[in-house]
Amino acid sequence: MKKKLAVILMSSILAVSSLVGCGNTPASESGTENANTSAAEANTSSDAKTITVWAWVDNFNVAVMKEAAEVYKKTNPDANINVDVVSLSKEDVYVKLQTALAGGGSGLPDIVLLEDYVSGKYLNTFPGSFADLTDSFDYSQFLDFKVDAVTVDGKTYAVPFDTGATALYYREDILEQAGYKEEDMQDLTWDEFIEIGKDVTEKTGTPMIVEIANNKTTLVRAMMQSCGLWYYDQNGDINITNNEALKAAFETILKMKEAGILYEAESTEGRAAALNNGQVASVVNAPWFISSIKQAEDQSGLWRAVRIPRFSNISSSVNASNVGGSSWYVLESSANKDEAIKFLQGVWQGNTDFYDTILLNQGAMGSYIPAYSTAAYDAEDEFFGGEKINALFAEILPDVVPVNFGGYVAEANDAITTALADLFAGKTDVDGALAEADAQLRNQLGR
Amino acid sequence: MKRKKKAGPNYNIYGWIFISLAFLLYIIFTIYPAIDSLLLAFQSFEGGKYTFVGLKNFKRMFGDAIFLKSLGNTFLYMVIQVPIMLLFALIIATLLNSKFLKFKGFFRTSVFLPCVTSLVAYSIIFKMLFSLDGLLNQVLIKLGILDAPYQYLQDSTWARAVIIIAMIWRWTGYNVIFYLSAMQNIPKETFEAAKVDGANAVQTFFKITIPQLKPIVLLTTIMSTNGTLQLFDETMNITQGGPANATITVSHYIYNQSFVYAPNFGYASAISYMVVFIMIILAIIQFTVAGKED
Repeated sequence: MKKKLAVILMSSILAVSSLVGCGNTPASESGTENANTSAAEANTSSDAKTITVWAWVDNFNVAVMKEAAEVYKKTNPDANINVDVVSLSKEDVYVKLQTALAGGGSGLPDIVLLEDYVSGKYLNTFPGSFADLTDSFDYSQFLDFKVDAVTVDGKTYAVPFDTGATALYYREDILEQAGYKEEDMQDLTWDEFIEIGKDVTEKTGTPMIVEIANNKTTLVRAMMQSCGLWYYDQNGDINITNNEALKAAFETILKMKEAGILYEAESTEGRAAALNNGQVASVVNAPWFISSIKQAEDQSGLWRAVRIPRFSNISSSVNASNVGGSSWYVLESSANKDEAIKFLQGVWQGNTDFYDTILLNQGAMGSYIPAYSTAAYDAEDEFFGGEKINALFAEILPDVVPVNFGGYVAEANDAITTALADLFAGKTDVDGALAEADAQLRNQLGR
Repeated sequence: MKRKKKAGPNYNIYGWIFISLAFLLYIIFTIYPAIDSLLLAFQSFEGGKYTFVGLKNFKRMFGDAIFLKSLGNTFLYMVIQVPIMLLFALIIATLLNSKFLKFKGFFRTSVFLPCVTSLVAYSIIFKMLFSLDGLLNQVLIKLGILDAPYQYLQDSTWARAVIIIAMIWRWTGYNVIFYLSAMQNIPKETFEAAKVDGANAVQTFFKITIPQLKPIVLLTTIMSTNGTLQLFDETMNITQGGPANATITVSHYIYNQSFVYAPNFGYASAISYMVVFIMIILAIIQFTVAGKED
């Protein structure tokens, strides 16, 4: 009898938990945010509309959007909306969005953050799912390449947020041990960088540059876009085997490895650890990477940031590039579409104080051009030896050459990663690796 | 499986009522998705809507180098990992079943313990063990065998080996329990008869234990084969399918097609059904091979 009872109890628990499990996930995930906002919103009337936002990284995108909500509440006291920023991992945002859109559109947020690399994929795969914002914003006030990235067939679908303006971050103290000064690091070519790297690695025993072993595409993308080239050409056709920038990138990274100046970290965490433990002298990355570098407080004053090197043998190559960046999209199916657009307009267009706040607090560098001339850009950063780090990015950004991301960047990154692994393992040469990447990408896209 | 027909007039109705709730859930969460994904396998998702494309998804598979590689990897894991694991499981079960062993409860629990760990958690632990500053590298360096840490997970052979070692650790205990319970059901008289006839331990194991375990060996083989064909968590967490797709499995590729790349649920479903088809073929082969020996 006891046994039977136990069986019934167990099976009913199973049944109930499986039923509960399928319906309530979004509520439980946003539960903490709800709790926070509901306390603050207690005084607003009960018919307040809630605008749900999906974003990733608590102390960056999520914090920025929460700040935007605060600002909007102050500047528009009678707007009567709540902004609920749901913090998910980037992968979860994509998986949930992709599943909800493919499944017909239930459970979607009102505003979603997407990387510019995936904008083409979502806009082409799910046409009509995102609100056309062409007439809602004055896009001439935003950076060209950011607007291009979210425009399809002349229609612009997002509010550009941060940029991935690329810098070379390096340890000034380590380079000084090898006899290099700050002026030696300005506007280098990759060949010069490798020579310096060899010298530094030899004299100090510290490898010059770090990249992730099973995904070296940050470096590849930075090098490629510095020449105004990409995995795809302006028409969206695959551009790999005849891409001189990609070829130069493969050759350069292979040279780094052969010269022994490349530290291959196992993961993003491994990369951050290597930098924070002083195991490596430099890294190429975007403004948001500063927060990872600053984790090592004892290295304050030892870091510097400069423009990235360029290719000497490619005439279009400049000392500026971009490795990512994201934008805010409004879902067409949203019941609060108009309120969501008004909210974005109210904060992200015209309010340079807001841009200053997120720049100083989160290090988030927006794409709104009028914000670049504010006092916040003159702030000196002690961590970088008093360098005006934001001014550096503001100076790099106009030089970034726009490219057509083509929407299928994840597929291309995988193809490049596979080819580079075979190149590094000595299974093929540079041209062979390019051909391999080309074949894998064509196979993946069915072209 | 066969039920006696004359079990009382209301037996069937009550039976159906009792299973109705579970069966309803089974229909909603298993049968409906299975049928729907079969339909999906013949469709393609383009420009925001599904279009019927016939056998295109199935044809694409045969020219898809990564799919074929993932299938090859999966079979490699299966061919190496399943026999090693089942052999280990048999040996451990025999030891646990032996009369002279003390603290049986303790050993049984220890052997089964890996099975209750979460797939993600144990995968991450294996990733840490074999990482650049992981335990294995540190021990080998301290012992003077290695000069510098080795990137096991960036070497295609080693990366596969790590996946196989991890799976053996995780699943051996699970199979031990099956063998152990089956061994305890083997009539003691057969062992005694063997002893009287002068058989030694090895002879007893191969001539008495193994033949009587055959149905269970078949069961565990089929279960392990299915499990390996569905392998996902380990490669996703330990190697992300790398280096150069050396460890990617079919399930991992299905995930990439659905959620990492531009959504291609039709193709993903087609691959899933291909896996089902392969499983059925393998099960038939295993049944026939096992049946012939009778």
